[in-house]
Amino acid sequence: MTDETLQTPLVANRQESFGKRLLRRMEPVLWVMASLSIFVGFWEFAWWRGWANPLLLPPPHIFLANLPDQFRFFDPGGTRAGALATGGSIFSVLGVIAWSSLRVTVGLALGFMLSLAIGIGIRYFRIFGKLVLPLVTMLAPISPVAWLPVAVFIFGIGNPPAIFLVFIAIFFIMTLATLSQIDNVPVHYIQLARIMGCNKRQIYRHVILPAILPELFVTLRMNLFAAWMVVLIAEAVGVGSGLGQVTMMARNTFNASLVFFTMTLIGLTGFAFDQTLRYIQRKVLWWVGPSNVGGL
Amino acid sequence: MTLGLKITNVSKTWNPDGPDPVPAVRNLTLDVALGEFVVLLGPSGCGKSSLLYIVAGLEDATDGSVTFDGLRVTEPSPERSLIFQEASLYPWLTVQDNITFGLKIAGLSPKKQHEAAERLLQLVGLVGAGDRRPHELSGGMRQRAALARALAMKPKVLLMDEPFAALDVQTRARMQGHLLNIWESSKASVLLVTHSIDEALALADRVVVFTARPGQIKAEIPITAPRPRDMRSPEMIELARQCEALLGEEVEKSFKEQELT
Ligand SMILES: Nc1ncnc2c1ncn2[C@@H]1O[C@H](COP(=O)(O)OP(=O)(O)OP(=O)(O)O)[C@@H](O)[C@H]1O
Ligand SMILES: [Mg+2]
Repeated sequence: MTDETLQTPLVANRQESFGKRLLRRMEPVLWVMASLSIFVGFWEFAWWRGWANPLLLPPPHIFLANLPDQFRFFDPGGTRAGALATGGSIFSVLGVIAWSSLRVTVGLALGFMLSLAIGIGIRYFRIFGKLVLPLVTMLAPISPVAWLPVAVFIFGIGNPPAIFLVFIAIFFIMTLATLSQIDNVPVHYIQLARIMGCNKRQIYRHVILPAILPELFVTLRMNLFAAWMVVLIAEAVGVGSGLGQVTMMARNTFNASLVFFTMTLIGLTGFAFDQTLRYIQRKVLWWVGPSNVGGL
Repeated sequence: MTLGLKITNVSKTWNPDGPDPVPAVRNLTLDVALGEFVVLLGPSGCGKSSLLYIVAGLEDATDGSVTFDGLRVTEPSPERSLIFQEASLYPWLTVQDNITFGLKIAGLSPKKQHEAAERLLQLVGLVGAGDRRPHELSGGMRQRAALARALAMKPKVLLMDEPFAALDVQTRARMQGHLLNIWESSKASVLLVTHSIDEALALADRVVVFTARPGQIKAEIPITAPRPRDMRSPEMIELARQCEALLGEEVEKSFKEQELT
């Protein structure tokens, strides 16, 4: 990216095309940076002019200044309501992020697979469908937050209630999405399959399933952020570890710097998750063009 | 036992028990001999597609019967293959996998499938495109792939619902020539729907003109001229005029009806 690398003309030529390639690849990243800079710029400006109270709204250069100091509040084991006596490290931060990510991932995976299975089951087995669909439709509008006490009653404290909440956050929506996707499979696809000798099971296996998967994956990605919100709430209330717990602790101790530092981590992690899902979608479910929800 | 396709007194009403039933086909009788190329011509909405679906076995006739080689048609079968206006290849499969889809379902070994694919790609002029995805093909190539997919099942009747309607004029002419070659070598019967009189005259052994809805047969015009046909010959111009007059009346009628409702 730097221009100091210009060497002999011949090499420079190759370097230039390489540089151009690099620039093209970097372009999306540059836009992300620009987007962030505007936001951070306003914030820093507000602080500089004295509009933003640094105790309540500390700008990035303050809450990112003393990282080891922040790290001390992160404990992958959780359950602690204050700074560790001995200094934490970047690894303890990563550990905390890993716990939250694990809960989200497991919840999403379970929710995706079960909603797919139940959705297909509802359409495949008529009686099962008639019995289950009303239930799904009635449970769907209940906010995952309302399930929080239920999760704690059933699973107590720890990972299971958080995973359960993530699961609940996407399961009903994804089940209904599966049904609508099945109903929208082009009728020609199914007619052709019948002509070519598919029985009902083969139609579901070889036509309906591949036809609905890409769109369902997009739906999953759009519900990713809901899953993150829920896991943070669960961690703040019922689990006692993870990013949600750190946020709650920061709030309780009026540590604004820590609040914003944790929010930054949550944002970055969510972003990384979205990118990962996009990548999987492009590689595995390539037959619907990558949709552009969420930039990049 | 009569070989070929026999459509006897077939009627089709959509939503027969609903608030407003739609009679699409009424009391229609039509035979398609073995290896014959029949083209259906008719105003929009007169029930041509409905008839093809019934012959394919995808829909039940409300009345009457369809038999093929003496056996009553009750369900879809690879021997009566249907080709739509839009190629409707499966976007998640490569061209080759689309073509061999039916063979895979039938349980052929991958090796046999591959051989069949090679042969069919050759036949429809898509050599080297087997590994491509449907969305990477042009409309004409996609339609050829769809044709190859149908031919893979060795159909005895090809049912084609405006197969070239979405193509540009040049591609269309090439595709018609292509279809004739394939038809001549495959010995299958063809029942093809089109809105284009020229297309009908270029392809058909017999053109069947439909009335406005509910579809009935208005006229049958046999064409004996050898192919490829010169559309500017006096004989063809006369036939085209005839078709145009017959079709014109019915289009008029169907427009009047639409204005009433
Ligand atoms: N699946 C269906 N359910 C209900 N009505 C239908 C259905 N398919 C067709 N129809 C009705 O039956 C009539 C005949 O339709 P059809 O598609 O067979 O006509 P067509 O001759 O193929 O027309 P076009 O030339 O426009 O393709 C139309 O009025 C249409 O609305
Ligand atoms: Mg039609």
